[in-house]
Amino acid sequence: MSTLNKSLTAASLAFALGAALSVAATPVAAQEKMADKEKCFGVALKGKNDCKAGAGTTCAGTSKIDYQGNAWSLVPKGTCEKTASPTSPTGFGQLAEFKEKKA
Amino acid sequence: MSPQGSFAAALLDPERPCPAGLTAWNGSDPAPRFRVYRNNVIVSLIDALADTFAVTQELVGEEFFRAMARLYACAQPPQSRLLAFYGASFPDFIEGFPPAAGVPYLADVARLEQLRVVAYHAADVAPIGSDEIGAALADEGALPGLVFRLHPSLSVLGSAFAVVSLWAAHQGLRELSTVAPATAETALILRHGLAVEVIQVSAAAGVFIAALRVGESLGAAAEMAAAEDAGFDLAGTLGLLLQKEAVTALHSPRRSS
Repeated sequence: MSTLNKSLTAASLAFALGAALSVAATPVAAQEKMADKEKCFGVALKGKNDCKAGAGTTCAGTSKIDYQGNAWSLVPKGTCEKTASPTSPTGFGQLAEFKEKKA
Repeated sequence: MSPQGSFAAALLDPERPCPAGLTAWNGSDPAPRFRVYRNNVIVSLIDALADTFAVTQELVGEEFFRAMARLYACAQPPQSRLLAFYGASFPDFIEGFPPAAGVPYLADVARLEQLRVVAYHAADVAPIGSDEIGAALADEGALPGLVFRLHPSLSVLGSAFAVVSLWAAHQGLRELSTVAPATAETALILRHGLAVEVIQVSAAAGVFIAALRVGESLGAAAEMAAAEDAGFDLAGTLGLLLQKEAVTALHSPRRSS
């Protein structure tokens, strides 16, 4: 590629990337859906967990025990750490997975 | 063959007799019990394929699909304990399956469904923010060499058939009678938040995104896309990737070296 060609390309790339930013500034539906929810570990009953990829996938509903520490449910934001979990060291659901203590 | 090997072989081949050395708790003939077990194994694998390849099944009907899936399950049983990913080679099997030759788009629709499952289970990775793009824009000379890292759920499927439209028609998103199957389409598959999305993109955008995905620089990927179609919409394609939070890192070789 010639030097002239290269500088033209750089300018056009800069223009395109700048324009792309304004396209991307449009609000995003998926984000909004998640905004009022949080992943809560250790509060799902056996077989009732959601999944890393959302309900309906093959790992949803696969937890083996009640309040399994590495299985989570989507719950309304702010409620997770107020939800009782007998297996949790804090006594409540947590925002990250944890090792269960004996209930 | 080891006892385990002959047991496994007999599970997958109904022509083989019940393996020797099996006994039932009450002394009854183990052969009918083994046949029940064999049936359960195969049916569970066919069910797993039917879950993953739901549209593929709708396109050919349950009877045809299950017969085809049975042959596949016996020929290519799972190699991993993760049943979710079982069937990664099923699209290739379909492509080489003579009775399915009358439905030439079937293998590509199956590929799209398989890529959706991969996207479902891909890791979460945070997208870049506008400040990182701003920093890249500030160094205009480095832009052609800029390398993008894309979200691990992302893949591109180019097809000679209308894979996106066929798939969408089976989700109730459009009318099947309006789909012309022999129209080439390119699918962008990714997970955005918790939702797996199938987005139809132009062939040139498909070339561009696929090139970025394998580590080509922005300049090289843009040139490859422009060679595919001079009217390639670079800004729109980059905007789509940013909007779907599919760009997870930017590397400028000049700055890092």
